[in-house]
Amino acid sequence: MIYSEVSGTLIKILVSKNQIIEEDTDLLVIECMKMHIPITAKKRGKIIDIFIKEGDVISEGDKLLEVVYDF
Amino acid sequence: MSWKQELEEKLIREKLSENLGGKERVKKQHDAGRYTIRERINILTDESSFHEIGKISGSATYDENNDLVNFTGSNFIFGNAKIDGRNIVVGGDDFTLRGGSADASIREKHLKCEQMALSLQLPLIRIVEGSGGGGSVKTIETTGRANVPEVEGWNLVVESMGTIPRVALGLGSVAGLGAAHLACSHYSVIVKEKSAVFVAGPPVVEQIGQKLTKNELGGYEIQLKSGAVDAAVDSEEEAFNSAKKFLSYLPNSVYQLTEQLSTEDNPNRTSEWLIDAIPRDIKSVYKIRPIIEELVDKNTFFEIGKEYGKSIVTGFCRINGWSIALMASDPYSYGGCWTSDTCKKVQKFVDLAETFHLPVIYLVDCPGFQVGLDAEKKGTIKEGVRAMSAIWQTTTPWLSIIMRNCFGVAGAAHKRGSSYISRCAWPSARWGSLPLEGGIEAAYRSDIENSNDPKAELEKITTRLNKLRSPLRSAETFLIEEIIDPRNTRKIMCEFADLAAPLRKIGITSRTMRP
Repeated sequence: MIYSEVSGTLIKILVSKNQIIEEDTDLLVIECMKMHIPITAKKRGKIIDIFIKEGDVISEGDKLLEVVYDF
Repeated sequence: MSWKQELEEKLIREKLSENLGGKERVKKQHDAGRYTIRERINILTDESSFHEIGKISGSATYDENNDLVNFTGSNFIFGNAKIDGRNIVVGGDDFTLRGGSADASIREKHLKCEQMALSLQLPLIRIVEGSGGGGSVKTIETTGRANVPEVEGWNLVVESMGTIPRVALGLGSVAGLGAAHLACSHYSVIVKEKSAVFVAGPPVVEQIGQKLTKNELGGYEIQLKSGAVDAAVDSEEEAFNSAKKFLSYLPNSVYQLTEQLSTEDNPNRTSEWLIDAIPRDIKSVYKIRPIIEELVDKNTFFEIGKEYGKSIVTGFCRINGWSIALMASDPYSYGGCWTSDTCKKVQKFVDLAETFHLPVIYLVDCPGFQVGLDAEKKGTIKEGVRAMSAIWQTTTPWLSIIMRNCFGVAGAAHKRGSSYISRCAWPSARWGSLPLEGGIEAAYRSDIENSNDPKAELEKITTRLNKLRSPLRSAETFLIEEIIDPRNTRKIMCEFADLAAPLRKIGITSRTMRP
């Protein structure tokens, strides 16, 4: 599971369900403190679910994506 | 008449104390993937260097002739040893005996361990597994009275925080006073999935309606983010290596200074890519860690508290062989704004540097404090002024390099008032009381609203003001001392480290460090 580490507005979703993601890939972009902050993959995985949509206001700790790493 | 017999009896007790809590308990410890305390000390310290103090203190039983029947050692083991040839004191709980609880221990051993490290002015490594406190609920029955809580010897712990490096390794479940010992350190490490840290464990917490596993309550993901623990690693061996690495940047005590190590890294090394490291688009972020790695002596950056207060990266490094405390903003977390947690992290780190006389280098990109309701609820301004005060109270040599943003009160905390610090800025630096973005609309509202084309007017004003905020204009009036070529930053840092080294002074700081 990937949770938000900052609060802000989700401005871009760069991945889709079932997509395989590589380490260091940008997954989402959150606008926070006037900056565009990418959420990146810490390791290779597969997107299982997306819990947010563009324009959503995000709080720290919100569930963003479900990712599996063994597939 | 020789004294051999007495020595033989002593050896019998020593041999028995090596049995720890017995074969079954030791097997259980191993089956859980954990070493025993004696194995831990053996792996951590240089071969045959451990000189145990009080090895035959424990619990003995005798027959009617007063001959020894059995002996069980105390469940706290300590002594002096060497790591990488350097003297240290190490003490740790034996979880195979009453789960490391203090009611199977001898209180004086804990005190003597603390006293020993403090008096010999040696780093202390505490290996914690268990509660190590006043005993369990059952103690009331075994002693026939209730215990008035006290933490005897805590004065030694407090004193040592300002005198010697304290490293704590939590290598299993750690609760109560054990958790306090882990938290009361300059650097703490736990093992992922195998360690958990809490004030009270799951059975107690269930009584207040929270049914949680050990990991859910106090596993590494919880405690790294809470800041209670500095690092989590995959194995006990890694924990020992982390402890060694941490200590390698510090003197044995505040009465010594760290020495310059030889380095093959050229102090004049330039880094071409740093000219492009900061994006021109002010909304874009960049990764700070590769910049840090580029600037310090190769492979010497040792990060502390990576998962906590993430807007600031803190760690030790070597610069031209000198041990340096390095702070750097991380725009990936709140754009580098100081959150409440960031402020607490800064307090602890700056105090750590001041305590052990490490010069500080701060790579600045701070747009200010975090703003918004969350920030207010977390008391950001209160923690912010505490962080600022910690910085203002430092006397250690200080270099700030402003790489990008430097705004507001938090931005001003890149220096300590009017006292001298070394300072320079990259050409990408931007500063002010408030960022222009978002502020122009408010400050020039009437001009914009009265214009025939408000959007064009806003753009016109923005362009005009942007030209004014060039760092070169600030340098013309000496508001900033120097604008440097980012590619030459390492050279500036090495020069600072050389200049700072003879200024470091030994001794206890006037305001000693709290954990």
